[in-house]
Amino acid sequence: MKRIQYILFSICILSIWSCKPEEFAPIGEPQNVVKSIQGTWGLTKVTQIDQDATTKGFPYKQLDITSVYPYTDLALAFLGDAQGNPGTFTITSGNSPKIADLTSGNWTVDDAKAPTIISLKNGAVTNSLTIGSYISLKSGKLIIKKGKKLNGKVILSYQYEFTKK
Amino acid sequence: MERSFFLTSMNSLKSNLTMKKILLLFICCVSAQWAAAQGKVTFSPLTFTAEDEVTITLDVTGTPLAGANDVYIWAFSNDGVGGGKDASTNGQWAASSEDGKMTKTGTNIFTFKFTATTLFGQSPAELINFGFLGKSKDGSKQTPDYKPFKFDPLVFTASQFRMFPAKLDYTDMATVYFHQDLATTVNLQRMTNVKVNLSFYNEAGDPVGSKQGIATVKESAILFSYSFIPDRVITIPAGIKLGKFSYQFTGTVKDANGLDVPTSGPVTEVVYTVFN
Repeated sequence: MKRIQYILFSICILSIWSCKPEEFAPIGEPQNVVKSIQGTWGLTKVTQIDQDATTKGFPYKQLDITSVYPYTDLALAFLGDAQGNPGTFTITSGNSPKIADLTSGNWTVDDAKAPTIISLKNGAVTNSLTIGSYISLKSGKLIIKKGKKLNGKVILSYQYEFTKK
Repeated sequence: MERSFFLTSMNSLKSNLTMKKILLLFICCVSAQWAAAQGKVTFSPLTFTAEDEVTITLDVTGTPLAGANDVYIWAFSNDGVGGGKDASTNGQWAASSEDGKMTKTGTNIFTFKFTATTLFGQSPAELINFGFLGKSKDGSKQTPDYKPFKFDPLVFTASQFRMFPAKLDYTDMATVYFHQDLATTVNLQRMTNVKVNLSFYNEAGDPVGSKQGIATVKESAILFSYSFIPDRVITIPAGIKLGKFSYQFTGTVKDANGLDVPTSGPVTEVVYTVFN
């Protein structure tokens, strides 16, 4: 019995002694999302989403409307400085329907490190756009969402998919 | 003799015109008084399902309850469509329940907060609309009925005509659909060469523009659609906001001699939502 106790005690000591901090590989430089947004983007896909139908589980939730009008004419340019700070923007619609009230002005983000909202501003007019997945930015895709609210609840939204030019 | 007849006729005409004016004025006055005597109802939120919490604001100005300090709600579901129930807060007509007492927020202004499924003890699928009135506790005074107020559907019901998205404003893309497999008349079931007519109206309900006979997209053998943004279909004058539009699918059917005969479905009206 005593022998078993010694063996168990030895195993415990050895287990504790073998513990050591595990070293993880470096995760690399953090992604500068704001800098990734900068550049000229061409609109490639527009999806209309009935958020109310989505919430209620109705069968018709979204519709790809890219081909209805020449949405792909639209180009969006976000300019900034070398440090990645937002500057000016321009929206060239061509024959595409408008996706915002503004065509030029300044853009800002709500959080420099992890932005979720892009604010387009010109004078007193401000348009807010929501940034989609950061992962798509690495593959040259910018996903922007615009919601329309009724009494604080998003009822209808548009998802715009841009490809870097 | 002729001059006298002419003058008599003119006097009679003038008298008739004056009478008409008086009558018109009387009708206007009575209508205005009647409208004022109906009270005013507003909802927050403006649209709601049977599961949403809703606040009713009732202005009893001009009703028998004007000046009252205590107003009780008497509510009922599914007016005119069957399967209705009285609200659990109603109590007895001559002795309203205290649960149905509305909150006074100003002179003649009363509010009441409720969730329909709880108030009527019915499932969202059972609730189609509701109505209510304001009353004194003993039922000796009451407002007119305010009804019916429809609940937004929580259950999808397939039908021959459909629009996507369900709520939109006049700057949004709308897609109207005709599901021929769900058509309710023989002509619509057999209709070919399917086209759509669109008409647009301003916020006052006056016509702004229309376009007839627009070719639809045949998405399948039984599904036709047309997508549009109003300012791409008609020219909207500067400063004008659209309040609603209507659509009507049209086409042709073969008559007994094999000739094409025009036919059309009903006109469906869509009111634009004002997003806020």
